[in-house]
Amino acid sequence: MNKFLNVIFAGFLFFSSSVIHALEVIEILGGKASQIPIAVMPFKSFGAQKDIGKINSVIKGDLGRSGLFYPLDTRGVAASPNSDKEVNFSQWKSLEAQFLIIGRIDSIQKEQIKVSWSLIDIYKQQTVLSGEYVGKNNQIRAIGHKVSDKVYERLTGSKGVFHTKIAFVEKYNNQKFKLNIADYDGYNITTLLDSKMPIISPRWSPDGKKIAYVSFEKEKPVIYIQEIATGKRKLLANFKGNNSAPAWSPDGKRLAIVLTYNTNSQIYLINADGSDVKRLIRSRSITTEPSWSPDGKEIYYTSNQGGGPQIYKFNLESSEVSRVTFEGKYNLYPSLSYDGKLLLYLTQDQGKFKVALQNLQSNQVLKLTKGPLDEAPVFAPNGHMVLFVYKNYGKTTKIGTVSINGLKIDPLPLGSRQVQEPAWGPIKN
Amino acid sequence: MKFLKLENNDELQANLFSFAIHLALFLVMVFSVGWQTKTPYYGEVELWDTVPVQKKINKTQASPKKKTKQKQNTKAQKSSEAKAKAKAQKEADIKLKKKKAAEKKAKKLKKQKAIKELKKKVLKQEKIDKLKKEMLEKEKVERLQQQIIEQQKIEKMQAELRENELKQQKKPALEGEDEVKGGVNTGELNKYKLLIQQKIQQNVNQQLCGLDYITLEFRISLMPTGELLGQPKMTKSSKIKSCDDAVERAIIQSQPLPLPKDNGLFSKLKNLELKFHPNGVE
Repeated sequence: MNKFLNVIFAGFLFFSSSVIHALEVIEILGGKASQIPIAVMPFKSFGAQKDIGKINSVIKGDLGRSGLFYPLDTRGVAASPNSDKEVNFSQWKSLEAQFLIIGRIDSIQKEQIKVSWSLIDIYKQQTVLSGEYVGKNNQIRAIGHKVSDKVYERLTGSKGVFHTKIAFVEKYNNQKFKLNIADYDGYNITTLLDSKMPIISPRWSPDGKKIAYVSFEKEKPVIYIQEIATGKRKLLANFKGNNSAPAWSPDGKRLAIVLTYNTNSQIYLINADGSDVKRLIRSRSITTEPSWSPDGKEIYYTSNQGGGPQIYKFNLESSEVSRVTFEGKYNLYPSLSYDGKLLLYLTQDQGKFKVALQNLQSNQVLKLTKGPLDEAPVFAPNGHMVLFVYKNYGKTTKIGTVSINGLKIDPLPLGSRQVQEPAWGPIKN
Repeated sequence: MKFLKLENNDELQANLFSFAIHLALFLVMVFSVGWQTKTPYYGEVELWDTVPVQKKINKTQASPKKKTKQKQNTKAQKSSEAKAKAKAQKEADIKLKKKKAAEKKAKKLKKQKAIKELKKKVLKQEKIDKLKKEMLEKEKVERLQQQIIEQQKIEKMQAELRENELKQQKKPALEGEDEVKGGVNTGELNKYKLLIQQKIQQNVNQQLCGLDYITLEFRISLMPTGELLGQPKMTKSSKIKSCDDAVERAIIQSQPLPLPKDNGLFSKLKNLELKFHPNGVE
């Protein structure tokens, strides 16, 4: 009996394998860097202020700025559907939309609103994600950013950064300086520090609660750490010579800083409480602009040890130094993506300063911007966007975002403010 | 006393030595100096700023009285001496000039040599610089080439794949083999496979698939119109949800897929296994 079953099983295996072999196989390599076409309809307002329904413009702005989405113009489209059951899919397909976001806003109490929303897959003809947020009327932009974050994460697999904060320095009255904090898109600006002396190099702590920065108020550059919630600050480094370029370690316990002390600029490590200062790299050349790898094992920095400025990395365990950038004669201001796979820096290309991105696996370099006078690029915490300073010759300095595929450059709506030195805060859980 | 005696002896010896020396010096003076015993010959010399043009001496004038002749002789001697002196002066001048010219020439040569050497050095430096530049350029080019190679890796592989498929299509015809295998034209079959591959590949958004080398597999069933029969079935995930979804969307978006009208061929293509490598293969 067992033998008989074995024979039948073997026969079945043979038959099924022959069926599998009969299947034609097509191999598809690569693809395209395309943007996902998405339609975001105005949210219907029930009892809430009418203009609040324009939350869709916040979501459109967020998704478009990422460079991975292409928000469609929906002005000619008739009424927004209330659910996926009401969606005319063939109409949306003809508009080449792959996804549709719909929503409603209900006034639940005085000043209190509830925002309900859905993400509909046009090809699958079903709702793939939905949610609700409750908040105050004046939190409508924040709620919009949260919706964008959820949609972004569902469709790209990476966390959205639309609900994060940025810091930047504003120069006003030609002599005064402010250290400002704002939403990532430049809205809701608050001032953390107002100073008569220049402020540079603001850097967020990994928990997003503090900012380290360089101030010239002691008539030379010194480093402060300031708490955002309370405004309390302490002097971290006021050593002989210049104290500059603070960079938090990923665990937030230490900082890499640059001191001139007795010699030229050199990188030192210091505990966040100001204790245990030690020199990191012993070099006759200038070593500056430190930036930690996400695992905290390496520090990338700029040095002129090979002649012109290039980016090197220092392994904290083996003390090994190796050069990282080879393309171009002038590369500086390094920073790494959250996964350590991409290196961002400033490069001089045909006399223009541009933002460059290097894949550390393949060493391919992509120039994200065209210059001519770009400065201070920093990664978004998800590594999909870059915040940087740009200006044309003799024109006002602007802060803008650029997507890492280089497809979308967007200035922050900061008007005629003279802005510089941006820093992007972490994603808050 | 003995001492005195010795002293006297020394004195005597010294005196004798002094006398001998004086005698020797006297003899040297007598024999080494040529004492003049005859009246020395002397002549008068006129000093001229410029040498006068010499007048022709007539023969009549030249055959005269003895006194005049002597006078004339003295004059001629004088003039020839002046001539000789002028000649000597001239020669000395020429010599000086020649010497100066030679010195000048030597200086010039030296200078030229120095310039030549400098030029040589500059050329050498230029050569080194050029070599360095070339090496740097070469390095740059090599790096660029490497990058291009990396960048084109996917395209190359795709091209190879296409080429292979085309070869397979051409092969039976070239070798005169039967194109029809099991009632199916393999060339036509490969052509449609290639068309399907191209259409789907254009819709894969590789940005949603990270940077690593990953593979996904889907199975699809098709209607004769090229539309999907049901949803694509994923048999191997990339383990990146956004990538799995993006590839699935690419398949759906590619409808209708190009299919042959021939029933035999269609039956071969109605069930397909699609293997995706969005970031290429290692």
